[in-house]
Amino acid sequence: MEGEALVAAAKYLAAGICMGIGAIGPGVGEGIIGAHALDAMARQPEMANSLLRTMVIADAIAETTGIYSLVVAIVLIFVV
Amino acid sequence: MLEQLGKELALRFTVGGVEIAFNLVVVAVAVAVGGILLATASWLTRGLPRDPDAPLTRRAAVLVTVVDVFQNHLLGGVSPRLARQLLPFVATLFFYVLLCNWVGILPLPYIVSPTQDLNVTLGLAFLVYGLTHYYGIRSKGIARHLKGYLEPFPFLLPLNVVGDLGRTLSHGFRLFGNILGGALLTTVAPVVAMQIASLIPAVGVVLGWGARVPLMLLLNAWFGLLMGAIQALVFALLAVAYIQVTAD
Repeated sequence: MEGEALVAAAKYLAAGICMGIGAIGPGVGEGIIGAHALDAMARQPEMANSLLRTMVIADAIAETTGIYSLVVAIVLIFVV
Repeated sequence: MLEQLGKELALRFTVGGVEIAFNLVVVAVAVAVGGILLATASWLTRGLPRDPDAPLTRRAAVLVTVVDVFQNHLLGGVSPRLARQLLPFVATLFFYVLLCNWVGILPLPYIVSPTQDLNVTLGLAFLVYGLTHYYGIRSKGIARHLKGYLEPFPFLLPLNVVGDLGRTLSHGFRLFGNILGGALLTTVAPVVAMQIASLIPAVGVVLGWGARVPLMLLLNAWFGLLMGAIQALVFALLAVAYIQVTAD
């Protein structure tokens, strides 16, 4: 294995590692956000609407780093 | 099936040594989605009663419901004055992104969601970025708006500027990444499932084709319809949140 085959193998491996590790953080973060939002909704059901809105925004922000790693993985596979 | 992934139908020309490429499919679909929205809106508003106390027609009832939902849910945390100014823009943004996401599930060759092109999503994100400054200057005046960058401490100015731009970039990248990732998975997963199923002797090929159609329907429903709606909601919600933060 040499030259282009090595580069191809390396880029697929890199994309897999990038996405795999990059998905851990957002997963944990969104889990924590969802759990606490459910907690708060169970405590005060009348606040559910505004809590849901805040939860979606917080989810989207926690997801950002996961999206970055997805973009890097896609660039590795299709562009490099 | 998979060989067309990552390829595009592009119009390329050179202006002053810089090559410019337009992805024709994305441009056409993006314009078509805008046209569909315009046509739907003009059909819905045709023949609206002038008198606000007149009994609601069916189209007027639809419009009232939509405006109500947007006012109470998307713009619920915004001051009433700002909410009134933002409502048309946010509703347009939401429906445009929603329809752009949903176009991708049409089983037509070459038709893709415009939102899986980074140029479209970054364009929308920078539009929102411009509007944050517009509403910030309008509600606070230019001096106080610029002074907002020096808070809490003046030496944090570079951090504030970089944070502003990073926020805008991630706003565009989020929609792009979610839609592109979903579209890739929807295309790749049925093919991979079929190849795995064909390893089973005798019944493998039949099993593969039998599993392929429900799998495609499921993936399109999940990533196309549901994720498309959620991401459109998130995009509009974040736009409101960013504008609200600078305007207050």
